[in-house]
Parts: sequence; structure tokens; C-alpha cells
Amino acid sequence: MKLTSGAFNPVPLALLVLGLCACTQRGATPAATAASAAPPAVAYEAHVAAGGNLPPGATLHNPHEGDAAVAKNGALLFTTMNCDGCHGPDAAGAVGPNLGDGRWRYGGADAEVFMSIYYGRPKGMPAFGGALNAEGVWTLVTYLRSLPLPQNLPTQSWEKP
Amino acid sequence: MRPIRACPIALLLAAAATVGAQAPHAMAATAADTASGEWPMPARDYAGTRFSPLTQITAANATALHPVWTFSTGVLAGHEGQPLVVGDTMYVVTPWPNVLYAFDLTKEGYPLRWKYRPNVSANAIGVSCCDTVNRGAVYADGKIIYNLLDGHTVAVDAKTGHELWNTQIADVAVGETVTMAPLVAKDRVIVGASGGEFGIYGWTKGLDLKTGGIVWTGHNIGPDAGMLAKPADFKPPYDSGTDLGAHTWPGEAWRTGGAPVWGWVSYDPDLDLVYYGTGNAGPYNAEQREGDNKWTASVLARHPADGTLVWAYQFTPHDSWDFDATGAMVLADLTVAGKPVKALVHFDKNGFAYTLDRATGKLLLAEPFVKVNWATSIDMKTGRPVTDPAKQTGASKGTVKDICPCLEGGVSPASPPAYSPRTHLFYTSTNNLCMDYGIARTTYLKGTPFMGINSPYSVGPGGYRGTFMAWDAATGKKVWENKEDFPNWSGALVTAGDVAFYGTLDGWFKSVDARTGKVLSKFKVGSGVVGNPMTYRGPDGKQYVAVYAGIGGDWLLLAGDVHSADPTDVRAPADYIKDLGRHTSQGGMIWIFAL
Repeated sequence: MKLTSGAFNPVPLALLVLGLCACTQRGATPAATAASAAPPAVAYEAHVAAGGNLPPGATLHNPHEGDAAVAKNGALLFTTMNCDGCHGPDAAGAVGPNLGDGRWRYGGADAEVFMSIYYGRPKGMPAFGGALNAEGVWTLVTYLRSLPLPQNLPTQSWEKP
Repeated sequence: MRPIRACPIALLLAAAATVGAQAPHAMAATAADTASGEWPMPARDYAGTRFSPLTQITAANATALHPVWTFSTGVLAGHEGQPLVVGDTMYVVTPWPNVLYAFDLTKEGYPLRWKYRPNVSANAIGVSCCDTVNRGAVYADGKIIYNLLDGHTVAVDAKTGHELWNTQIADVAVGETVTMAPLVAKDRVIVGASGGEFGIYGWTKGLDLKTGGIVWTGHNIGPDAGMLAKPADFKPPYDSGTDLGAHTWPGEAWRTGGAPVWGWVSYDPDLDLVYYGTGNAGPYNAEQREGDNKWTASVLARHPADGTLVWAYQFTPHDSWDFDATGAMVLADLTVAGKPVKALVHFDKNGFAYTLDRATGKLLLAEPFVKVNWATSIDMKTGRPVTDPAKQTGASKGTVKDICPCLEGGVSPASPPAYSPRTHLFYTSTNNLCMDYGIARTTYLKGTPFMGINSPYSVGPGGYRGTFMAWDAATGKKVWENKEDFPNWSGALVTAGDVAFYGTLDGWFKSVDARTGKVLSKFKVGSGVVGNPMTYRGPDGKQYVAVYAGIGGDWLLLAGDVHSADPTDVRAPADYIKDLGRHTSQGGMIWIFAL
């Protein structure tokens, strides 16, 4: 995929990336572009809720849910933002976890994946909210959620049946 | 016999550094006896030989080797490096979170004397390219000194476990982590940073042994001033001119050019030079950095006191294959073409084994030790590889097929060789792997990987995936090899009993006859071995051999079910290594063997 597509359409990506000039070696001065959709101040994950009540908070909606064209842009953004450096080509896992196995450390709902990318996570996931605006993060979320899920086969056997 | 503790530690170290030297007086003789049974620095001696003069375990009796003690480190990541033994204490550093254990070897079951638990930032995990490994500690001046993944060097009192100093040397925010094993030369602690996959501006630092203060920082790339290269002192054998580390890059691409230091340091006290290798050039797409990209993928020689650069030699100019040169630089006095030489021997990721004159950096010989096809030979006049243009990679070239060796290297730099002055042979693990290399343009984004690579591997000719072999560095010839089913990732140990030791990825720990390679003993330890065996004489006078089990150190080794600690991360095994998960899983253990 990314390897044969040396050229990409820079127009949509430029709108998503903050403070990053694709034509220079180093990060340029941060752009003053305001995020088009502000994220909520507090993140809520799919935790066990004390007392059985989920804490109240803003609900995030992916404006591009299921949009294949956005997902395609997201695949490009996934390499442009160096996500593949840790999560591997096709997000299949390298030093960072596989993002296409349907299993999620911090929740796999669109809003939860948004929070992981925007704010980062402990043990290594950098916060990309300062490099991508919310639209850019949703583009990545849409790509990751578009990955075809493998059949869930928790058993690996080396014995011949 | 019991070690004599009254001798000044400096004497023990000096003796360890000059194994076999005649003791000048009685006190030193006692110290030498004690020192012969110790392992005070990563490769046991300054020369980096991983040779022990102990002789109780021999090719005749090694079949009786069996485990006598184990300890779980409680950590799952790849257990590279090796324990230290100083006096009657064994010191073990774990991968992140870099716990330091001190075991009392005088008591049954080796209970802990103390445990040191630094607060190491978890943010470092995300800027470790390959795993959260640590390659070990060094002992000097009553201190155990080692690096923390999050960019600190610490010195801990070897007796009490109390922290003596803690210096920030690297910056996680720019993609620097620290995994290498430091060395103490004179009163300098030599350290460097990983981050070749994050576009760092690679460097080496000399810290003050007493205080931990940073005395000098010498960059490995960039202008001469930053490299501590002065015209009067810096004499690279095959290059001339100034600012070579800047002029061999487009514009200021050296600022994000990599050249990390993540392996080993050796030291020649007579020449007063420390030697270390630098890693890959960044980014992987070589078309973004036309030129030689000096001094990435090189060996550098510096004076330890002030870091002055004396010579440098580049193994892989314009590195287009991720051929780090961070593997060990082993110092040995050899006879090459009838002439005695102070040699430096290096098995490079690029598949060539190099024998250099360590006073000048001049090439004595360079021969492939695994299948190599990116270059046909090394030109002895220019010192440069004769490359095959068809194997040159770059974003405009699409996927370049069948490059040997693969980017894991003919041998992983994490797997240091051993040298025996008795057999005059070097012992090393190898990988028999090739690769396809597809690379994309990539943009520097601080704190994220500067890579853009897709490089599936394949098994090299013969169908086996690795070896453990003996190499004659005076002639550039393989003497024997043991084929191993999997890539071989452990370091080597050789002893004056003429026994060599290594471990395998599927979890076997083996002793072999150093002269023939014949397997003398093998035992299945708890996990694949990526650490380095070491040997010591215990307080009871017996010779022991210790090694870590604990697969990791590279994400490819964790593909498939090998990595099973995270239920939210399931992935297919890599094609060329599909069966590894049948034989091993993660888990750090220390094993000790004896007759």
C-alpha cells in the first residue's frame, strides 16, 4: 500500500496537520490553526463504574463514521504521522500493539480511539493532539475502524488434527 | 577459595583488564587471583573479549553442567546483557523498569542483599524502537553504574544499594532512550543514546565517575566542533578535510541523522582510546540524505578524558539498509599476514567481519561471515564497500527484493562475540536471513519514529535461520559453525577451559567445545535467550556459568504467540519464523549452571 504510493495528495493532509511542514527536515513553527472540533476536557473509558453509574461527560461522535473515502485518507495519514513506525505497516503491530485485531487496551469505540490518539496513553503512546487537529484525529480513527477484523481465533495449535 | 576483600577494588579492576599479565608484587598477585573469578564489566575486560581465565569447566567435563539456581526477574521484556559478579555479590539489571538486584552468593539460595528500584518514566517505552531492553551495568570505584531507559545514568553504592548520583544524559522528548552498557575508562563513564529510528542527533558523553557530571559530549555526526574533532588529532584513515560529519549530508540533515550508540564500548589503556560503533542513518529512506552520512554506521575512537576524536571508519557509507554498526568492537593482539598487530575485530550487521588496526583505524581485512549481496567486497585501498547498485534502496525504487543480510544483521549488535587468546578464535551468533526492503518518504516529527519501512524477511540459503560459529579474524575465515533452526540472538562466552557458551531463541542453553563446536551440554531454559552468558568463581571456589532467559529485544521476536502477556494485542507470526511461538514465550529468568 504505502510503499507503492510515493506521491500523495497533500491538500487534505495539510488541513489536518498542525505545525508540520512536509517539505522540511524538521518540524516548523506551530500553525495557529484552531481545532475545528474541540475535544472534551475529560476522557471516559469503558471502565467498571463504581456504584454501577457511568460518570457523566460529553459524548464524542465521529463525523466520518464508516466513510470509506476518509478511511483511505486516514491510511495515508497513518504513515505520514509515523504511526506505522510503532504500530507497523497496515497497523498490524510492531513495537506498539496491533490496531487491527479488534482488541483494544483503552477501548475500541470511535470516541475511545480518538482519546487515545489525541491525548496519548501511558507506557508510550504519544499525544498527537498538538500535531493533528480533531479532524485529523477523526480521519485516523475512521481508518483504524475500517480495518477488516480477523476472525477471533484465540487458539493457536501446532498439532495436526 | 574465598575472595580476599581487603584488596583495593582498583587493583581488582586493573588485574581484570590485563588478564594473564605478570603480577608485579605479592598484593597484586592476590588481587589477580580474586579478579580471575570476577566479571566486573559488560564483556569482563576492557578489550571486550568475554573470555574468562577460569578452567574448572572443560571440554572433558562440561557434559555434567546442570542448573543450580534460578530467579525470576518479574519482567517480561527482552533480557539482553549479562550479570556482573564482583567479590561475593552478583548484580543484575532488568529491562524497563530497570530494577537492580544484588544477590549474596555466600548464602544458600543467594538471597538479595538489596534491590534498587529507580523511578523510570513509562514515556520512554513509546520511544524505544524495539523493546525496553538494558544491556547491563559496569562496576568501578565501589559503584554499580548503569543506564535507565528514560535517559538517566545512575551510580549505586555496590555495598549498600544507595543511589550515589543520578544524571540526566538524554531526552525522551526527542526520541532518545538509553539501553547501552556503559564502560568506565580512567575516571570517565562512557555513555550514549538509542534513537536511530527517531532522528536523534547522535552523541557519546563522558561523565565524571565521582560525581556523574557530564564532562564532555561528542556528537557522532555534524560539524567538527560538535564532534570534538580537532584537525591536529582527528586522522580518519580513508578521508581528509574538515566537517566531514556535516558535508556528507544535504543541508543540515545531520541534525536528524541518527548515529545512535546502543551497544558496547571497549578501551585500550595503552593507546588510551575508547571504541564504539554508531547506528543507522536517519531516516531509513536514503534518498532524503544523499552522501556518505558520516559518521553513521561507523566505529569511532576517542580519548576518554576529554572525548577528543582520534579516528573514525565508516563500515556502511550512505546506509540504505539499517545496517547499524553498534555491535561490539573487540580488541585482540593478532598476527595478520605474518605481522603482529593491535587489532580491533567487528562483526557488522552488514554481513562483513572486519579486522582493523586499532591505533589508526586502517583496514587489515574484511570478509563476509554470512551471505552478503548488497556489496561484493570491501576495497582495501579505499576502505569502501563495492556495492551492487541493484540492491540500493530508496523511496523512488519501490520494494527492492532479496537483500542479504536482512536489517536484523548478519548478527544482531545486541549479541556480542567472544575471543579466546588460547584458540585465537572469535565466537559469534549469526542470522541467516535476507529481506525485501520497501521504503517511503518520511517527515521528521519530534518524538515519533523517523522510519517509513516495510521489510519482510526470508530465510537465507540452506534453510537454517542462524548459526553459532568460530571465526579466525587473522585470515577472515570461518573455522566451524553449528547451524541453528532459529536466528541466533545470544552473546558468546569462551573460557580457558576451552568451552564456549551460547543460547538459542527457542530456549536452549548450550556449552560447546571451543575447538570443534561439538555440543557438550544443553538445557531448555524458561524462554528464548537474547542475553550473554558469563562465568565466575563463587565464594565456594567453584566455577559457575550464568545467563538470562527472556526473549525480546526486537518486535519480530514477539510476533505471534511469543508475546502473550497483553490480551489486547494479537498478531500473526512472521512468515519466516512461524513456529517460534511453539517453543518459547516471554519471561525473564536468571539461570546459574555448575558441574
